[in-house]
Amino acid sequence: MAHITLNQYLQQVLEAIDSRDGAFCAEMLSFKHPHVANPRLQLSSPEEKSMHLHCIFTMCSSFQAHKEENWALPIMFAATLDLRIFANNAEQQLQSKGKGKVGDMLEKAAEQLMSCFRVCASDNRAGIDDSKKWGMLFLINQLFKIYFKINKLHLCKPLIRAIDSSNLKDDYSTAQRVTYKYYVGRKAMFDSDFKQAEEYLAFSFTHCHRSCQRNKRLILIYLLPVKMLLGHMPTHQLLKKYDLMQFADVTKAVSEGNLLLLNEALVKHETFFIRCGIFLILEKLKIITYRNLFKKVYHLLKTHQLPLDAFLVALKMMKVEDVDIDEVQCILANLIYMGHIKGYISHQHQKLVVSKQNPFPPLSSVS
Amino acid sequence: MTYNCLTTGDQSELSLRQVTSEELLSTRPMNKTAMSSAWHQSRRGRGHRHKEQGRVTRERVEEQRAEDSVPHGTCMTMCPAYELRQREAQNRLHRFEMVADTERDRLPRADVSRAVKEYSRPAAGKDSTRASDLRPPSVLLKTACHLVDDIAASSTFQPWAEVYSFVFDRLRSVRQDMIIQRVSGPDCVAVLEKSVRFLLYASYRLCGQQLQYFDPRINDTHLQECLSWLLESYRDGKHQHQEEFQALSLLYNLGSTEAIQHVLELPERIRSSPAVRLALAVSRAHMERNPVRLLRLAQRLDFIQVCAVHRHLLPCRTDLLLLYSHGHSSRNCRYPLQRLARLLFLKDTLAAELCQVYGVNVTGEWVNFSKSSFTDAVSGELQCRSMHEPLDDEQWNCSAGSVIHGCA
Repeated sequence: MAHITLNQYLQQVLEAIDSRDGAFCAEMLSFKHPHVANPRLQLSSPEEKSMHLHCIFTMCSSFQAHKEENWALPIMFAATLDLRIFANNAEQQLQSKGKGKVGDMLEKAAEQLMSCFRVCASDNRAGIDDSKKWGMLFLINQLFKIYFKINKLHLCKPLIRAIDSSNLKDDYSTAQRVTYKYYVGRKAMFDSDFKQAEEYLAFSFTHCHRSCQRNKRLILIYLLPVKMLLGHMPTHQLLKKYDLMQFADVTKAVSEGNLLLLNEALVKHETFFIRCGIFLILEKLKIITYRNLFKKVYHLLKTHQLPLDAFLVALKMMKVEDVDIDEVQCILANLIYMGHIKGYISHQHQKLVVSKQNPFPPLSSVS
Repeated sequence: MTYNCLTTGDQSELSLRQVTSEELLSTRPMNKTAMSSAWHQSRRGRGHRHKEQGRVTRERVEEQRAEDSVPHGTCMTMCPAYELRQREAQNRLHRFEMVADTERDRLPRADVSRAVKEYSRPAAGKDSTRASDLRPPSVLLKTACHLVDDIAASSTFQPWAEVYSFVFDRLRSVRQDMIIQRVSGPDCVAVLEKSVRFLLYASYRLCGQQLQYFDPRINDTHLQECLSWLLESYRDGKHQHQEEFQALSLLYNLGSTEAIQHVLELPERIRSSPAVRLALAVSRAHMERNPVRLLRLAQRLDFIQVCAVHRHLLPCRTDLLLLYSHGHSSRNCRYPLQRLARLLFLKDTLAAELCQVYGVNVTGEWVNFSKSSFTDAVSGELQCRSMHEPLDDEQWNCSAGSVIHGCA
């Protein structure tokens, strides 16, 4: 739209403000709008972007003065989105020049977003339709993105509390809720709260629009390890559909109790798993793999007084290094403690005595 | 809806370092209270210099900001001349800074070759940026070496708790000078490495001492601060001892997902070094909750690595008792005490004592595990210290040198 003059553009913006058309105004003011290409606005210094933002934020701070109105929320959304993207770019530029501390720009952006959030959150006077509270979830999602990037997850807690205690929490748009649950699910994973994580991430996955393949894949990257820890293995078709074949070997190894294959798979796709931050959680699958391996031993021997040596042989077959009877006892003790095996170890008889009923309870029922 | 949790305080966690440097270099206008307190301070007989200083500070700092905002120290001695004279006159020298044989005088004399600038808290009205009071990086490194090599590692100074207190404070001042001058690079790294070694060693040697002599929480705070500063410094350029300290950091923070994730993201060359590989193996055993394996791997650690990991070993041993209490829980079965002691890497008597504290039944040579009898003991009943390597004072002093010297 570089063919309209700057004056015409400004006129349109003014009209939008006068008629309180938040959505149209937001579109005009976003950095993605073609008006940005206008050569009269181009300055060689980076300050042009900050000028843009400065104007926007002056507008935003005047919104606080909008008593009992929330038509300007879309403008705020556009502005905060642009702010976060700029902060990201600024970070990258500084990093390539080797200057500045990692996370500085993003932290400053987060501070700005927080002040916008406070304006929205403290809007107690307006009625539900005019309340600025409708802006809360969008801002929280932006803040989550920043906090995850700078690895300061504990800062998410007060935001989560805010939404939990809000009566609007189920009425926000599906898109916003999908994003919200995605991040909360990831945080739950980080806190090792896997049942909760599964709940959030599953919601996110099922409610994510089927056209957003990239987003669905992202959610799946975190949902899969959680589900596997709870004993649910993904199908081959699912992995193929979302191009996540890295999980194929892991899945196979865990369900077969094949420690060797598991270790190999983790090493093979190490870089991918570490980059996504799920390597450590996948390592937790080892205990499930031990459990599956030992269950096989139990089925093979068809007795409930299992010689410890049998387990040692099984581990040695899986090329587990430096393992002896004492370590076998320790691994078994751990499985018993966690409830994966019902029974006890008799050191004197060098046997694992398991319960006659359901000695290996299903994974989903444990913890 | 209340949002006390959303105040700016919560915002971004500023490390001690950032806070200090921001405090020092801000040009907050001195409000009435600040000025009057500064005035009172100077009236407390600290000399005319401070009175002057109080009035001139803001202008001078602004001036400094105009030309060069980062101060550069010019003090070439370990202790600035002004402070030395002042402390000598006020009888505030430390025993280790006095000229020999003047310790018992009414006013002991300062030994210029051994006096070290002490740590002082930044405060309004106090100018910590005077070039003559700041030591440049080369002097800071020399100071750190003197403190750690000549004092902490030597066996002539007793008791070691007093040595710790002195060196801790003076090293803190060294780091403060580094912060004010925004020092980075090889000198900074060398000072931090020495600090980390000292603090790790102290955490082991003084473990279990009374709170007035050694506070493990304060030591830990400083150790974590040094480690995170050091690890961040490692991001630029090549550093000779990086592998060693990455491993030490991982061992010290055993169980921390952040610490492990950090190590996993290190370049292949460092990750595959023996020190880091061993630390990762220990970490993996901890994550998989395999205390038998962990304690076995711990036998392969060198002394400073043991210092780093030792506080995790007692919890690891009790975890073993917990797991076995459940895994071997049976009224009729017995487990040989001797074998348990070997797994725990403790003497039989100590193993029996550990069992007793945690509710594990021991009768003679046999242990009877029962999941209902295990109790999580109140901490403090059995000291970590009792499980340290049995070294008498003599050996402590000999090993101090070799342990702390470790790297050049």
